Amino acid sequence: MDLTFSESELAFRDDLRAWFRAHAPAPEPQGDELAHFCWRRDYQRLLARDGWAAVHWPARYGGRGATLTESAIFFVELGRHGAPMMANVLGLLLAGPTIMSWGTDAQKERHLGPILTAEEIWCQGFSEPDAGSDLASLKTRARRERGHWVVTGQKVWTSGAQHSKWCMLLARTDPDAPRHKGLTYFLMDMEQDAVDVRPLRQITGSSEFNELFIDGAVISDEQVLGGVGNGWGVALTTLMNERAGLAFFLQVRLRQLLDRLLREAADRGLLADQAVAERLGELHVRAEVLRLTAYRGLTTVQKYGQPGPEGSLTKWMWSDANQRLTQLAADLLGPQALAAGGSWGYELLRARGNSIEGGTTEVLKNIVAERVLGLPKSR
Amino acid sequence: MDFDLTEEQREIKRVARELLAARSPLSRVREAAETGAYDQALWREIVGLGWGGIAVSQAWGGQGLGGIELVVVLEELGFACAAAPLLSTAAAAAAIDACGSDAQRERWLPGLVAGDLRAGVGPAALALDGHGADVAVVLDGEGAVLVAAPESEPLETIDPARRFAALARSSVAGGEPLGAGAADLIRMSIAAEVVGLCQRALEMTVAYVGERRQFGVPVGSFQAVAHRCAEMLLQTESARSAAYHAAWAAGAEPTRLGEASALAAAAAATAAREVPASAIQAHGGIGFTWEADVHWLYKRGEVDRALLGGAGAHHARLARAAAARLAGGSP
Repeated sequence: MDLTFSESELAFRDDLRAWFRAHAPAPEPQGDELAHFCWRRDYQRLLARDGWAAVHWPARYGGRGATLTESAIFFVELGRHGAPMMANVLGLLLAGPTIMSWGTDAQKERHLGPILTAEEIWCQGFSEPDAGSDLASLKTRARRERGHWVVTGQKVWTSGAQHSKWCMLLARTDPDAPRHKGLTYFLMDMEQDAVDVRPLRQITGSSEFNELFIDGAVISDEQVLGGVGNGWGVALTTLMNERAGLAFFLQVRLRQLLDRLLREAADRGLLADQAVAERLGELHVRAEVLRLTAYRGLTTVQKYGQPGPEGSLTKWMWSDANQRLTQLAADLLGPQALAAGGSWGYELLRARGNSIEGGTTEVLKNIVAERVLGLPKSR
Repeated sequence: MDFDLTEEQREIKRVARELLAARSPLSRVREAAETGAYDQALWREIVGLGWGGIAVSQAWGGQGLGGIELVVVLEELGFACAAAPLLSTAAAAAAIDACGSDAQRERWLPGLVAGDLRAGVGPAALALDGHGADVAVVLDGEGAVLVAAPESEPLETIDPARRFAALARSSVAGGEPLGAGAADLIRMSIAAEVVGLCQRALEMTVAYVGERRQFGVPVGSFQAVAHRCAEMLLQTESARSAAYHAAWAAGAEPTRLGEASALAAAAAATAAREVPASAIQAHGGIGFTWEADVHWLYKRGEVDRALLGGAGAHHARLARAAAARLAGGSP
């Protein structure tokens, strides 16, 4: 057991820190959604120019072939330096690795470069109004017509769709096949009239997510990924990638938010109150245990090639901790934390999504019970 | 970054698991609880294996291994819920070795390791194996005090599988301070036992709810039950992450042991209550009976939580330390 970084990991971190110091991010734009997107896109371009946008990608595709630990270091440092998450995070973490696993040479050649430089943004068209946690029940249909695929259906929760050139689209190509077998994974061009992007207004008032209405969108055979009828297997590659590096970024953001609350509580003299100190300390323990468990999970994957029991727990731990943290802020800071337009108020509302996005806590518990503990399938 | 046991540590853990499974099934724990005496044959075997001195330098008769080996053996002690004075002996010996003077080491360690001397640990009001102990390492606030032959009254607790004592205030007042590091090692050791007893509670529960059928199906297929089991895993793994981190700090980064141990204590104190309580609930009516054995884990968990001083004090200490660090400007 060695919970320190190796010489080469430290060198990687030092290079990265020097780079972040030399490229301090501009202040985060408030309120204006487009300005916020541009802030993230421009910063990704800067990262990409110097080879930092996708450290986990192989060098031949413009990455650095980073180890899992180095990749974790990247996300930790990104968070620590107040830099924005890359605008094309779904392309970098999901679409890119999925294309590397399943794509033809031509697909890799065509898509990977523009993902890295944020020239082409990607979104994920998996969830539907009636296919959320139960993804395999999705209904969006792709039919053969005159040598093309023609897609009709509706997707929801597509973050960043309004900025996206491409969509990782999961659609049903064979309605008669068993539900996991009749699916195909498409790379859909968003720039066509048949694709209508409508922003979904969230409880925060802002719109990170969209609904996608697809009415006769045309996709060529060249944009099928991993073969017709193989969509579920390809989608699993995407889903498996989903919770890897992000956990470290989220963990750091949680720590920063907790530190902010600790400072504000200390400034008000609230830590002298034992009950308040205990509640803050309980969150400190949650944040630290999350960090430690994330590193344990990383070691397990690195050494044994697959996640251990702890790997299924970090997203659940994070969402729970973040929700409790923002609620504690409301309790401790009172009306100031609840002021309209204030950042604590935003965090309080935004945190409600944490236990839903990327797998609801209820589904995560089912997964833990069935796949980790080996309990009979839930009812 | 390698947050995992080595092959050798896994082997130590495996040997401890197998030996305790063979020698100390829960029927023996019950026997010890009902007769009010430790399993002496088991204790002689444990002494023979040198577990009491696993983290003690070879110069004093120990095995010269570290905090991680100590933690994995105590984790297995907890898993077996074994009725033997290993936690008190191993934790006191580790604390004296790390924080005592040479005179104290020479006076106590060879005898503790050989099983000739008996040690008590814990707060004065609840000293595990404190009655008739030759030496006690008493938790006192954030520090610890070494007391030779403390005056004591035996104390019967809800956990009859172990012996406790209330130590006389006067003899604790005359003790020799060992410093905060000693208390940290003792809390780390208790936390390690908690990880094991939570793991046992979880495994017993998963096995039970997979077999027990109602409405024609295993009760573990009901989400209310399955989700409870998932929560038990989360609490257990949280306590394990924190305990292993403290074990690593004990050897590699002693300056970080104070906070690491408080973190381990806080996570363990939470899990020690929640996980065995959930085990009883998930076992239903049978879980509330003397025969079902899950209650030994709940009893040990509640008392270990008290030995740790509960979760709240550690939470508050950690929050204040974090706030002080922020005020000092370090990240």
